Amino acid sequence: MHFSARQTWLTPVLAYVAAALILAFLSHSLPRMLPGDFVTAMYGASDVTLTPEQAAGLRAQYQDDSGFTAFLGRIFCLDWGYSHAFLAPVSALFFDALPWTLVLMVTAHLLSSILGFVLGVEAAWRRGTRMEKAGVGIMTVLEGIPELCSGVLLLLVFALNLGWFPAAGAQTAYADHTFVQQVADRLHHLALPLITLVLAYFPGNFLLARAGMVMVMKSPFVLTARAKGLPPLRVRYAHAARNALLPLVTRLGLRFAFMITGALVVETLFSYPGLGTLLFNAIAMRDLPLIQGIVLAASIMVLGINLALEFVYILLDPRVAHAS
Amino acid sequence: MLTTIKKLTVQYTEDDHALLALDRVDLTLAPGRITALVGESGSGKTTLGKAVMGLLPDNARVQGEIFLDQDNLLDFDEARMTPIRWAKAAMVFQNGAANLNPVHRLKYQVAEPLIQRGMPKKQAMALAGTRLTAMGLAPELADRYPHELSGGQVQRGLLAMGLILDPPLLILDEPTAALDAVTKSFVADVIHACRAQNKSVLLITHDLDLAGALADDIAVLYLGQVMEYLPGRNLLAHPAHPYTLALARAFPTMDAVRDLGGIRGDAFYRMVHAHAADNGHTHVHTHVAAPDAFHQGGHAPPEGCLFQPRCTQAIPACSLGSVDMEITPDGDHRVRCLRGGIARMLHFEQVAKSYGKVTALYPTDLTLMAGEVFCLVGETGSGKTTLAMIAAGAVSPDQGTRYFQGRNMDLWMKKEAASLASRIGIIYQNPAESVSHRLTVFEIVAEPLRIHNTAADEAEVKDRVRSALSDVRLSCAPEFLKRYPHELNMGAIQRVCLARALVHEPDLLVADEPTSALDPSVQAKVLKMLLTLQIEKGVTLLFVTHNIGLARKVADRIGVMSGGRLIETGPAARIINHPDHEFTQALIRSARGLIRPRAAASSSA
Repeated sequence: MHFSARQTWLTPVLAYVAAALILAFLSHSLPRMLPGDFVTAMYGASDVTLTPEQAAGLRAQYQDDSGFTAFLGRIFCLDWGYSHAFLAPVSALFFDALPWTLVLMVTAHLLSSILGFVLGVEAAWRRGTRMEKAGVGIMTVLEGIPELCSGVLLLLVFALNLGWFPAAGAQTAYADHTFVQQVADRLHHLALPLITLVLAYFPGNFLLARAGMVMVMKSPFVLTARAKGLPPLRVRYAHAARNALLPLVTRLGLRFAFMITGALVVETLFSYPGLGTLLFNAIAMRDLPLIQGIVLAASIMVLGINLALEFVYILLDPRVAHAS
Repeated sequence: MLTTIKKLTVQYTEDDHALLALDRVDLTLAPGRITALVGESGSGKTTLGKAVMGLLPDNARVQGEIFLDQDNLLDFDEARMTPIRWAKAAMVFQNGAANLNPVHRLKYQVAEPLIQRGMPKKQAMALAGTRLTAMGLAPELADRYPHELSGGQVQRGLLAMGLILDPPLLILDEPTAALDAVTKSFVADVIHACRAQNKSVLLITHDLDLAGALADDIAVLYLGQVMEYLPGRNLLAHPAHPYTLALARAFPTMDAVRDLGGIRGDAFYRMVHAHAADNGHTHVHTHVAAPDAFHQGGHAPPEGCLFQPRCTQAIPACSLGSVDMEITPDGDHRVRCLRGGIARMLHFEQVAKSYGKVTALYPTDLTLMAGEVFCLVGETGSGKTTLAMIAAGAVSPDQGTRYFQGRNMDLWMKKEAASLASRIGIIYQNPAESVSHRLTVFEIVAEPLRIHNTAADEAEVKDRVRSALSDVRLSCAPEFLKRYPHELNMGAIQRVCLARALVHEPDLLVADEPTSALDPSVQAKVLKMLLTLQIEKGVTLLFVTHNIGLARKVADRIGVMSGGRLIETGPAARIINHPDHEFTQALIRSARGLIRPRAAASSSA
């Protein structure tokens, strides 16, 4: 950022805008190539038989024939179309589901990143001890368990058998709660899906942080930091761990960008009313405008997070600014 | 603050064995003195610096004592070491920029120890800025990240960082490696300033020039043992240990005129093995580093001088017991050598020779040190060949005494001529005339063995001829061995002569104009090979030539002869660059093609 601030800011932003336009075009054209349509999906399994005229009429009613430019204009006005399955505007559905997913995913990522980073750094510092070896073993096993598996287990044990946590939903419906009670109720509902996600993300973060830290600890500047008479915690975090952070941030960014698909399994499993569940239902119903809206929003989110990362990297490691 | 290191031993343990990095090292670092630690890589220099800082890796086992005044640092744990580091002893590590954290700005890293010790951040940053400016780094450079700085700027920054708390002891690990000459001299100024501020400086370096120029004392480290401890000014001029001499010879200086020579053999690692059969009792074994290198059945003798396998003057006693440091006659100069330092190979006292009324050699004193290349230079008829042949034992002097390896040569020759002759090899000027045209290559090379009857049987003769021929890079194929001299070119015949001279594996090789009959391209090849062999075999070489340009490339020391007198001897660089005698000056001028020596001598007389 020292030499030409304008160029370092402008180039990635322009590139990302171009990518966003291409994505918008794809999300406009790709769903149209899906086999089957809403009418077939809705009436195919029922006893009602439509005459060709009726089918054509219904299709004409639900068909969106607008061109790409019109589509682009509507995106900016948040007019993302009307969901045939839910009988509501797509944007309304999207923004209803978004906060639930955000709460779940942001908490899960923050917890698993902080936990993974700190434990990984401490494990690397204690490299070769029995505790560290055991930690790496356990994390490697945990890393191999898919969230579907651990989610089902948690659901069976803590919700169905022990009954400590609710098995579905994000809050108790129609309850007359005070604010504090409401927060407690939501956290209660959040617990199991959150633990499932943390269990899925945390071991990878741990292993990545530990591996990065082991490499950094061999660097001469860590020895210099010790030679300078700095206390161990400062050597460990301000000097060594700071340099092991970059791969972890990359991973966090990638994971976060795939928030919606990442949440799909867990949200569906726990019937959690987030974007993942919404997308799952939309695909099942062939709800074209809804799929289109979610896919596009998800893609823009991927781009936005990547763009943000470009600048976070420079903050974390000044060498990145000169890499290109 | 006085730093006293006593019997410091460091081993790096790995599974079932250990690497011995330092072996009972004693060293004292006094205030206001610069002590240089020199040696090849792997000799334990950096380990010593890290040991003082308490920064050795976990697998290091440390024994001995490191005193900072009254405190033995080896009794201190990490918590007690932390306040000592940087405040009492600071170390600038090697490899420049790798020692700076890439994500922090230089000035912050310099200020960090101050901040850590309670100085307000603003004040600390300001002080760091001042110190960096004093090191020649402008404020905008001080605010940069390490990757935005050049190697020289980084080194200046590291020095500022090392000195930020004004420690009484500064350890510098290769502070000038990979620096340009200007920055290097700046670093030297900084080190001088530290001495002026009464700091102790430990300068770890393989740069002998720097050590010689800066250091008050020099310790030469080899395989974790101090081989020689000498005053700085003496390093290049008067090394006492063969290892120091070899190091100096391998080091490129601005003065060096001779081609650089390596040290024969390869450096070893020292391994400590605990054999199960010995119930955990440890044996020190010396292992070679390179798998295909000089190897004595996997283990060198556990006792004896460490340098002995590579030494040019080793005697059987050298491999019998460990060797202690001894004080040489000139006071504080200590050397770990059974032979008391570099030995005399050949010593003449007032040796003279006349042929009838013609005096070929006036009374002359001459000393050849073991392992050196001594060049005799002069015009034809100046007595070079006479002196060389007296040295070789081929001509007896009329007066004076000759000593070879400390024994009177004439008495030796009377008693056991064969044993003396087998220690001296001779190469003559004209290869074609120095071999019998009736002998085959095999018979020529085998002749010395037959004359002195030194081979046990015919099989040994064959073996030794083959090994001598392969030493001089000649074929050992039967059809080549059966050839006669007239079937070979001059270069090949001179190599056969060299093989003949080497077949006894002599200690002294006398070469009288060995390449003057060869054309320049062949001469270059034969010379290169001769010098390589000199290093590999550790043989002392007396090289006679009329060509001072040649002597310049070959010699450690040069002796100039004129009219039967040895008029000047000295290190090759001194003779070539600052000749004392006017004849030598004229000789060098004429070699540069400016003026004829006779004319110059007469005009200036």
